[in-house]
Amino acid sequence: MIRTEGLRRLLPAVALASSVALIASGCSSDSDGGSGGSSGEESVLNVWAGSQTPLVANFNPYSTGIQNGTLGPIYEPLFYFNRAAAGDPVPMLGMSYEFNEDGTEITVKTREGVTWNDGTPFTAKDVAFTWNYEPAKPLGLISAEATDDTTVVAKFETAQYTTVAGLFMAAVVPEHIWKDKSADEALSWANEEAVGTGPYMVESTSSQAFTLTKNPEYWQEGKPTVEKLRYLGINDNNSAQSLLTTGKIDWTAMFIADTEPVTADGRIAMVNTPQDPTVIYTCSNAELGCTGPQTDVAVRQAINLVLDRTEINSKAFSEKAGIISPTFALMPRDEKWLAEGMPEESPQTADAAAAEKVLTDAGYAKGGDGIYAKDGERVAMTLVSIDGWTDYNNAAKLIAEQAAAAGIEITASTASQAEVDEQKTSGSFQLMVHGMNGTNVADPYQIYLDWFTTDKTQPVGTTVPQGDWNFSRFSNPDVDAAVVAAAATDDDATRLEQYTIIQDAIVTDLPYIPLVINSTMTFQNVKDFTGWPTDEDLYAFPPSWGAMASGLVVTNLTPTD
Amino acid sequence: MKFYVRRFAFYLATLWFAVTLNFVLPRLLPGDPATILLQKLARQGGEVTPAMLRSVELLLGTSDGASVWSQYWSYLGSILRGDLGVSISNYPEQVTTLIGQALPWTLALVGLATIISFVLGVLVGAYVGWKRGTWADHIIPATTFMQSVPYFWLALLLIYIFSVTLGWFPIIGGWDTWTFDNPEASFAFLKDVIWHGTLPALTIILSSVGGWLLGMRNMTVSTLSEDYITTAEAKGLRPSRIFMTYAVRNAALPSIAGFTISLGFVVAGSIVMEQVFTYPGLGRLMIQAVQGKDYALMQGVFLVITLTVLAANFIMDMFYGLIDPRARNNG
Repeated sequence: MIRTEGLRRLLPAVALASSVALIASGCSSDSDGGSGGSSGEESVLNVWAGSQTPLVANFNPYSTGIQNGTLGPIYEPLFYFNRAAAGDPVPMLGMSYEFNEDGTEITVKTREGVTWNDGTPFTAKDVAFTWNYEPAKPLGLISAEATDDTTVVAKFETAQYTTVAGLFMAAVVPEHIWKDKSADEALSWANEEAVGTGPYMVESTSSQAFTLTKNPEYWQEGKPTVEKLRYLGINDNNSAQSLLTTGKIDWTAMFIADTEPVTADGRIAMVNTPQDPTVIYTCSNAELGCTGPQTDVAVRQAINLVLDRTEINSKAFSEKAGIISPTFALMPRDEKWLAEGMPEESPQTADAAAAEKVLTDAGYAKGGDGIYAKDGERVAMTLVSIDGWTDYNNAAKLIAEQAAAAGIEITASTASQAEVDEQKTSGSFQLMVHGMNGTNVADPYQIYLDWFTTDKTQPVGTTVPQGDWNFSRFSNPDVDAAVVAAAATDDDATRLEQYTIIQDAIVTDLPYIPLVINSTMTFQNVKDFTGWPTDEDLYAFPPSWGAMASGLVVTNLTPTD
Repeated sequence: MKFYVRRFAFYLATLWFAVTLNFVLPRLLPGDPATILLQKLARQGGEVTPAMLRSVELLLGTSDGASVWSQYWSYLGSILRGDLGVSISNYPEQVTTLIGQALPWTLALVGLATIISFVLGVLVGAYVGWKRGTWADHIIPATTFMQSVPYFWLALLLIYIFSVTLGWFPIIGGWDTWTFDNPEASFAFLKDVIWHGTLPALTIILSSVGGWLLGMRNMTVSTLSEDYITTAEAKGLRPSRIFMTYAVRNAALPSIAGFTISLGFVVAGSIVMEQVFTYPGLGRLMIQAVQGKDYALMQGVFLVITLTVLAANFIMDMFYGLIDPRARNNG
């Protein structure tokens, strides 16, 4: 009796399933679109660069709503500085550049024979216009002018050795289009038919995807060979992963904990280029109003020693994160900037005994509860991370467990992103698992300037303004002076001397306790396209969202037959 | 007549209240749009240049000293003009354009799915109630089980089975972006849209039909124990007539009331469904607005939802006044 009931119960389900199958088979005949590279058809590279729907056509390099694919495929820089590997800048619209003696004047020779995709020739005047243009004007620019069609000279108030990458990586815009746009217009304009010099131009846009088509007049002879780029809007990483495995996406960058199912059939390859440090921010400076045990350098050093970073990487970051150097030089890219005697890696295993020794030497004594204390103050702190950022949340829990082994009490807590931002900018936190921005050239200078100098911080209670990053309230006059001195020289040896001062200070002081380098995973369709950046040849930063780098990658790709 | 005037005034007051709430609520949310916008840009890989910072400042404006009152009045004024402002998270698109693009998708998909789910639920529910105590009762736990399965999980499961493994249905989108660059008025496109809507609609139906079914079944069972049913049976009427004109007709009343309200909520879209399927509807806009602290977009979307829910309630009120004299007298 039960059995027949079961059968009957199944009947509607079977009927439903079969009708669904009918509908599906009726429709799926024309569903085989997708990957480029198949012979005969025009080749299309399907890209997901993290954009979510609805996509709004906006190819304005100065707008906040800028779409991926604008910088690189459409607009090009003067020189490309590779953040993935050490090496000389790649000449794009520029051919060569030189500084005057004190680095305040730059002379750039621009490329001849380049035209904008509307047919107008590109000249040095466009570069001068771009630099003088209000929304793009570099800080401290005195004047920029084109002395002839292929030479542009810019004068600055200060030496530009360390900022030149930002200047040269900026998109060059055509004077004949942008000169009619006021600064306000320039920011609110969608620029739907972008006129650039790059290998691609806008073909069509919709709320779900936009298509860029090959620029037939591109200055690099015979390139690009991929006919079209289709940038998709996808709201959910799960969908993106499914699309990647089913061959609907050829190039994307996202975090996938278990890459095996994606790369199993050999069609998709993964390149991991860790870039951005994950650290523990400590509110370190009692003089600027920080409170708590972490304001004592001994406590920070003890935490640094008791961390088992191997365990953190494997349990919280799926073993995809890179190994961090406490100097914040990205290894092996910044090898030449690692001062002599400085550690290449933060300790990868826990050393509780060493941590306890640091505390004991600093006058701490273990209380009855197993937690160290000094002058009645227990070494107990709160470690906050953004709720829902599971890798950070898990790392925080591991840190709390590991610290307990050395008699340090860390309570892991979570808060919403808005609350964490508030704590971060106002300084009302003790410890925080959070990210740092990696530098966009092979030089750690930007991290030293942005995260460790007194100019970039504020006392606790005052908001650290947008664009400043020194949330640990770290302040050391020697470091400030060394950063200024490093910026004023073009000589590697002299700069390294200054870096020695900086690295010595931050490795000891640990205002940011290094954890790992966050992974940047890129997935590439290596079956239908060749020419991708690989671990052996990182000619450009690989992820699909890489500004300017994506232009180099798509120019280099070739569809296979 | 007095009834209708009273209802109308009531709805007018509710409308004002809703519009005001719509102004107040987003401003109570914690967080600062500029920070969120910059983080979004940084995450998307754009380096946040000084030019970007300046552009964000210009876009969001530093506090220009406008009082909350003057903001409120200009807000009311622009609503009356039909100007909902510019979306920050989808800069520089007009909020009205974004909503205009999203609304048809949501209305068609969620609307159709709600109607199908309702009709299916009520019909099957009535039948199951009629056949109470037989094998048909087993349908109830099956459907309520479907309803209790977490929605996103059901959606992911369907995608995994039918899209990834079997490849019968697409994984994302309202239409096939790999084939059609833009929506177009052709039969092939329509077929494509239906094909893309099947799985999303199926998840909505599977997860909502249980409620209608259970409600209708229980109402039918209790209606069947009414004296007038016994009378009808005693008169010797055909069972089909008793079922349709005596039982179902009376049992369906509460379901119809519930249906009108749920129709009002159709415009809110189905947030999870639109997220999982990357469906170009209103629910998606709502998430984006809340995440990006996009006041203009948030207010626009909430306004549309409020208006529709109110309108649906209004229509139901009028409708009930028409079919049920008791409501007219007591209202």
